[in-house]
Amino acid sequence: MKAGGVSVTLVESPDIKIIGVGEGTWPTMRASLERMGVSETDLFKHCDAAFKQGGKFAGWTTGAADDAYYHPLMLPHGFGQVNLVPHWLRRENNQSFCDFVTPQGRLCDLGLAPKLITSPEYKAVANYSYHLDAGKFAPFLAKHCIEKLGVRHVLGNITQVNQAESGDIRSVLTQEAGEVPGDLFIDCSGFNALLIGKTLGVGFKDCGDVLFCDTALATQVPYDTPDDPMPSQTIATAQDAGWIWDICLPTRRGVGYVYSSRHTSEDAAHVALAKYIGRELPARKIPIRSGHRETFWKNNVVAVGLAGGFLEPLESSAIVLVELSAKLLAEQLPANRHVMDIIARRFNDVTLYRWGRIIDFLKLHYVLTRRTDSAFWRDNVDPATVPDRLKELLALWKFHPPWFFDEFDRLEEVFPAASYQYVLYGMGFESESSPEALMDTELQAHRARQDVERQTADLRARLPTNRDLLNRIREYGLQPV
Amino acid sequence: MPPIDEPAAMTNIVPLNKETYRHLKVDSRASAAFDNRRFVQVIVKEFPLLLVHYPILFSKDPQTGQFFCGAMLGFDENENLFFEDWQQRELYRPLYLQRGPFYGNGPELAIDLDDPRVGADSGKPLFTDQGTPTRYLQSMIWAFQDLTAGTEMTQLFIARMLELKLIEPVDVEVEFDDGSMRRCIGLYTIDQDVLARLPDAVVVELFRRGYLRLIDYMIASLKQVPVMARKKNLRLLKATAGLASAVG
Repeated sequence: MKAGGVSVTLVESPDIKIIGVGEGTWPTMRASLERMGVSETDLFKHCDAAFKQGGKFAGWTTGAADDAYYHPLMLPHGFGQVNLVPHWLRRENNQSFCDFVTPQGRLCDLGLAPKLITSPEYKAVANYSYHLDAGKFAPFLAKHCIEKLGVRHVLGNITQVNQAESGDIRSVLTQEAGEVPGDLFIDCSGFNALLIGKTLGVGFKDCGDVLFCDTALATQVPYDTPDDPMPSQTIATAQDAGWIWDICLPTRRGVGYVYSSRHTSEDAAHVALAKYIGRELPARKIPIRSGHRETFWKNNVVAVGLAGGFLEPLESSAIVLVELSAKLLAEQLPANRHVMDIIARRFNDVTLYRWGRIIDFLKLHYVLTRRTDSAFWRDNVDPATVPDRLKELLALWKFHPPWFFDEFDRLEEVFPAASYQYVLYGMGFESESSPEALMDTELQAHRARQDVERQTADLRARLPTNRDLLNRIREYGLQPV
Repeated sequence: MPPIDEPAAMTNIVPLNKETYRHLKVDSRASAAFDNRRFVQVIVKEFPLLLVHYPILFSKDPQTGQFFCGAMLGFDENENLFFEDWQQRELYRPLYLQRGPFYGNGPELAIDLDDPRVGADSGKPLFTDQGTPTRYLQSMIWAFQDLTAGTEMTQLFIARMLELKLIEPVDVEVEFDDGSMRRCIGLYTIDQDVLARLPDAVVVELFRRGYLRLIDYMIASLKQVPVMARKKNLRLLKATAGLASAVG
């Protein structure tokens, strides 16, 4: 490829299978794909993709039958102007925090799509990302990169890594295609971490003491009829020792139990999964080693994806980090070897910060539970398992609900303050606020609330069902404008 | 906007033949129920005729999201500012409306017997006493030949415009003297900035295919928006004046 004088070669092993369970994404994916010049219509047609409008967390707070909250992808209404949290905390009606601030939870309940067939590609009426078949998505992207972006694709198993005296990688040797030299190597070798770990010896920071889930059982569930309704929210249902994901693609559901092997047995996990689905289906076991590399860029090697780290698949955070890392790398690609270490240091700072924030955010889902019915939930609220920074934030948020300006200072924060609001107040966190603070923004809040109700009624009337829109997209496609 | 051969609900469409329907008459005039609409699908062949009265724009079919070309007739739902002109048989009436209750049936025509315009005593006969098509029916046969080929040509034109990223959304926003505003959404036109930057080879290709002329027609036709707005403004003022005198 010759974009800005850079040529990219992808060396892919024909023998190592992809993990293929990450089927949820974050709205960043829309921007990533659009930037790459991928047609959204093609994505829907070739990757069994569907819309995702957020996550629904069932049973995480009390475990009661009606215990559920949404983490939608739309920001609370007027988020830049007014913080609706203190206004909601007065609880003048029975609305959930989500329904108080956005229509999206109700759109999900009604099975409505986030846009219209007349909406252009990548344009949303209600913010969205995708559920997709990871096994189809990877070759789809590879094909796009080879055919449209001029990436060279080498199928080969790496048998040897050649290093210079400085430790820099000079080339990799493949059995099938000989030697592949390079100036910069991006390690996407998955759990193997061939370059960053095995060759350069960068250590792994385990975070299993914070996030306990270390195993997943994944399966696929067919629909009873091709027209079964399709939720556009990822449903995460809490279990005794973890949680079950439930993701609807147009042709099947992807369901899996993520659990802590210290808190349950594999047999018991199979039983829980079968109970959730309503029948027994063969499930694939996937180990999860929660944690990340101590450094992501060393010498001329950058680790992206599983080689950089992995966490339980809550909130689609792993794929977001892949996108953000790739973007950061593309934007700051070193002009030569001399400046590489400076950029590497920046990259490491930002990436380490992001991993830390993701771990905090995932832990937030557990630390707010009031469940005491199993050791898994009791152990999760043990202060020794809560990162210090998160502890500090929780103390702060008791009096200062998170908002626009607080704390979140990075240009591209993985999860914005809005996400924290949805989880905190979805799980019944209590913040105190002064009546004076409320009075100042009374009018703005009132208007925002009216807008939310008006918008909800309008969207309910206009939006097609999720299933209907996906069928139409596959038949007619979306227009580029 | 449904394709030309796709009937609306509640119809009774039968192939037209001279044996059974020898004495059938059809009211061919513009009628409120069918012609009062603010946007109507058109084909590229009609552009030169449309341009002198109506803005020609792109819009999307709400069922499929596919682009089609259309002529703007009004600002409000079911408003056709040219309806009276059409009743007087003045001004060009687009083929999709001229077609009346007729449908395509391969090379033949079909007719919707449940259409209120069919069977009217005051209508035009379809067949002569000798059983040959009347001039009216013959004009409908030609209209369908135009529509069938023209719809396909229009789709090709649109596809090329999309490929070249020449289609852009346009906000038609008009303020009237009674203080009211109209904002028409879901309309698209030619992106003149992109047009100006097209490579020479593409410009020549567009010219040879006759597309450059169509593009110019579309751009020029936008000048009909203020003309239509004045027409609407006069009506609004008349209505207000009428109201004032009634109150007075």
